[in-house]
Formats: sequence, C-alpha cells, structure tokens
Amino acid sequence: MAAIFNLNHHASYAHWHFFQMSVSNIIVIVLMLAVFGLAIALRLPGAPKPGPNP
Amino acid sequence: MSTAAPKSWTGRVRERAVGALPPEKLLPDTQPAYVTSAIYLFGVLSLASLVVIIASGSILALKGPGWWHFTGVGHFFNSIHLWAVELFFFFMVVHLWGKYWMAAWRGGRARVWMTGAVIFLVAIPCALTGYVSQQNFDAQWISTQAKDAMNSAGIGAFFNLLNFGQMYSYHVLLLPLAVVAIVVAHILLVRKHGVVPPFEIKGRS
Repeated sequence: MAAIFNLNHHASYAHWHFFQMSVSNIIVIVLMLAVFGLAIALRLPGAPKPGPNP
Repeated sequence: MSTAAPKSWTGRVRERAVGALPPEKLLPDTQPAYVTSAIYLFGVLSLASLVVIIASGSILALKGPGWWHFTGVGHFFNSIHLWAVELFFFFMVVHLWGKYWMAAWRGGRARVWMTGAVIFLVAIPCALTGYVSQQNFDAQWISTQAKDAMNSAGIGAFFNLLNFGQMYSYHVLLLPLAVVAIVVAHILLVRKHGVVPPFEIKGRS
C-alpha cells in the first residue's frame, strides 16, 4: 500500500462537534457498508432466480 | 449385536457425538437454495482469513522479531499477517451484520449466535495484544498509552501492557487458542442446527 499511497505523514481526521475519526477508519466502515449492501442486492453467478414460494 | 449403552466413557462420548452430529450433518455435500446468496459467504471468508492469520503468525513466531523487522521476506509475512487480520475483522463484521438482520438466533440457534458474538469479543484483545508485541517504537508508544486505560479499569496488576513476555504469550498462545476453540464450537453448532433460513416474505403467493 505504501508503494501506492504516501503514508509518510500524520493521519487525516474528520472532526465535527463530538465526532472525530480517522479518514482511513471512515473508508473501511463505508467499504463494509457497501460490501454488505452488494452482498444482499447481488445474486451469485449461477444462483437460481428467486421465485414465488411454493 | 448388543444395543445396551456402552460402559466406557469413550463409548458414551462417541455415541453422544454421533447422535448430535451424524456424518451427513457434520460434512454435508448440499445446502439449502437460500445459501446461494452472497451474504452467506462472509462466515467462510472470516474462517479463510483466520487460517491465513494462524499460518503467517506461526511463521513469524518461528523466525522472530529480527527477521520480521529487517528482512524483505520478513516484512512480507508481517504484512500478510496484518492484512489477514484486517480482512478477518472486515468479513466478521459483515457476517455479524448479516446474521443480526436475519435474526440468526431463531430456531434454537441461540448458542450459535452467542459463540459468534464471543469470538468477536475475544478476537479484539487477541489483535490488540499483537500491536504491543511488534518489538518497535509503535509497540512502545501504544503500550505506554494503553496501560493507563488498564490501570484505570483496575486490571493493570495482572494484565500489564508493559510486560512484553506476558503480552506476547496472550497474543500467540492464550487468546488464539480461545478464538480457535470457540470457532470450532461455532462451526459444529452451525452443522448441528443448520444455516438459518431467511424470513418468510409476507404477501408473496
């Protein structure tokens, strides 16, 4: 990662009133939410289409 | 052939184990159709990450700090260990969210849910003791800052973050042993009770 991004500096923080969090932590949380949403919304390749209950 | 209960403890344990988990339940070759959803993948992804963590951690333990700090291959395995932990927690959190919204404790699966929650709780100090076991300035800084939290909680006398030997023992033996043992129990309980089905959709005919 260090080869792609310059990590040789202090961490960046998002700060709003009582809320303070490093940008890297925010990115990880947003990524987790995105993966969670995609895992629910997308069907696996080859999985049968959901049909009506018998 | 006698049908009487075996007298030896090994026989009784065997009968109980086979009764609770017959081979076709322990190692099934099919799963219900709903398991084809991607949200069901995150348990096994967490498990795969744990295997990489244990394997890379074992290599780091065999080679020692001089190797993981000062050689290229050592750096590589150090990074593999770190990123496997990052992925382990990433997948475990998505797995936990998925199971929470499925109410995965339904159908007599309370122990499956509880063991999963305990794995998450035990894995956190397992990872944090790794930060203070690095043998570098980062570890020194974290341990001298975090010791105050332990002292204020009243546990600093027997959980001393400045004691490298103690933290390293927690990180490479005691806590991983606990995590792996509860993971095994969690998987066996999943095998016993089956994967939790989705909720019925009301109004679908």
